[in-house]
Amino acid sequence: MMLAGTIWQRELVEFAQRRRALVVKLAFPLLVAAPLVLSRAPTIYAALALTMLVTIVGAIGSGAVLTRERQSGLTLRYRTLPVTPGRLLIERLSTSALIDFVQLTPVVVLVALRHPSGFAWWPALLLSMAAVLLIGNLLGAVASTLSDSPGEVMLYVILPLLPLLYLSGVFSPPEQPALLTISRLLPFSYLYQALVGALGGQPNLLPWETVLGGFGFLVGAIGLTGRLGRRVLETD
Amino acid sequence: MKADTASERSLLQATGLARAYRGGKGVFDISLRLSPGEVIGLMGPNGSGKTTLLRMLATAATPTSGQITWFGNSNHRDPSVRRRLGIMLDQPAHFEQMTGYQNAWFFARQYRLGDGLARERLDELFRWSGLAEARDQRVAEYSLGMKRRLSLVEALVHRPSILLLDEPTLALDYRAELDLIERLQLLSLTGTAVVLATNDVHLAERICDRVIFLHQGRVVREGHVPELLTEVAGSKEVQLQMNSPIGLENLRALSAVEAANVEGDTVHIVLARGANPAQVLAVLNGTADLVSNMRVRRPNLGDLFLKLTGVALPAARS
Repeated sequence: MMLAGTIWQRELVEFAQRRRALVVKLAFPLLVAAPLVLSRAPTIYAALALTMLVTIVGAIGSGAVLTRERQSGLTLRYRTLPVTPGRLLIERLSTSALIDFVQLTPVVVLVALRHPSGFAWWPALLLSMAAVLLIGNLLGAVASTLSDSPGEVMLYVILPLLPLLYLSGVFSPPEQPALLTISRLLPFSYLYQALVGALGGQPNLLPWETVLGGFGFLVGAIGLTGRLGRRVLETD
Repeated sequence: MKADTASERSLLQATGLARAYRGGKGVFDISLRLSPGEVIGLMGPNGSGKTTLLRMLATAATPTSGQITWFGNSNHRDPSVRRRLGIMLDQPAHFEQMTGYQNAWFFARQYRLGDGLARERLDELFRWSGLAEARDQRVAEYSLGMKRRLSLVEALVHRPSILLLDEPTLALDYRAELDLIERLQLLSLTGTAVVLATNDVHLAERICDRVIFLHQGRVVREGHVPELLTEVAGSKEVQLQMNSPIGLENLRALSAVEAANVEGDTVHIVLARGANPAQVLAVLNGTADLVSNMRVRRPNLGDLFLKLTGVALPAARS
């Protein structure tokens, strides 16, 4: 029997114990990504679909889990633990993002195998994917405070994501300078650019710029998660 | 830890506590003080504010006004405060896909218990709680009583200085209830302070030093149990089970009746000292055939609550 003594270990133990869910979680992104990566789909469309996949995987899982925990009284129980809310939320969401990352690893491996020439983009891809997953988890966590219904929470997650993806230049390249600036301020644009590069396309950024952007958003997301600990865990 | 507890004069002090909810419910202007080894009962009907008050004392809810200090520290998020609290909330909350032992282990480790100590204490507590055989079973397969016993294990494992228990005997069988009472008495002797939110009059009378009656979010009476019981000493409670409803006006008009209340098909009547139950029957003259059952018993804290508020405590009826 696996015993978990810390919050992040507990998340991993519970994940590992749910074998059927584990298989479904690993298979689902691969089923979506495989036709895109293996076929001759235009790079920009494949990158668009994969950016949306990563974003949604990050946001939906944590939103639904935290809503269920709020209903079952676990959030209240967590609140009484001798751990600060910021640390608690960072541990929980970073573990959840890590699990999402593992879930998406086969997709990344597939991209790497199919397009080995895009290796210069792999560090940028990994970093920007980690940042988007953590931000997606945080968005889901904040949305979980808005409703008692997991379905409604998913809606609250998706509603802001779609315009944000548009503003990131994922659906169409931003042409006006203002939109270009906005897109650089959103993490999804770096993931999209990294995916275009890794899939052998022509991104608008250089690999090091994308690495820097992904890293910046990852650090920023960790800091913001710590700041939002009270908001997420102490809202009734 | 116990030495620290014994040397602290007041483990917990709350002043002017309030937490208001929409619709006017909540708790208002509550003050209390908890000394080492003291056992305090919070009693009141559902919706009286027991759980809200207990949650504030347990750091799970923030008061909208007033202040609480735990061990001289008023920061409810301070891990050093929370590490000394043992909490059993009203709703047993566990990770359902994990086993009982995995759950208890996780919570024990949050309180910085080392591997060996956690294992030793959990083994003892699982035996004590009767969960030893079910320890490797998923919590999703537990009954409500088992989940509540697991909550007790989790609240006790780190030997807290203050235990805050919401309805601890709910869904427990008689044997488990006796075990719990014995354990709480022992903990109290070693300096652990206990706050219980309960409607269980017998539990409160057996182990509480002091009881606080809450009604509509406010304290209606507070005192030591023997002192409170003298207020109803010599009086009696009469319970009449009725075949059909009767008006209480005539009963309340009797000088022998201190309080009368109807709950379902049962009328609860607190008689004044020296009053004879026959006086009640005399009022019912002509309608006495409506009474299907009658019980007279010595008064308890539930009767005092009824006398003070006109409302019966759910468990006081038994």
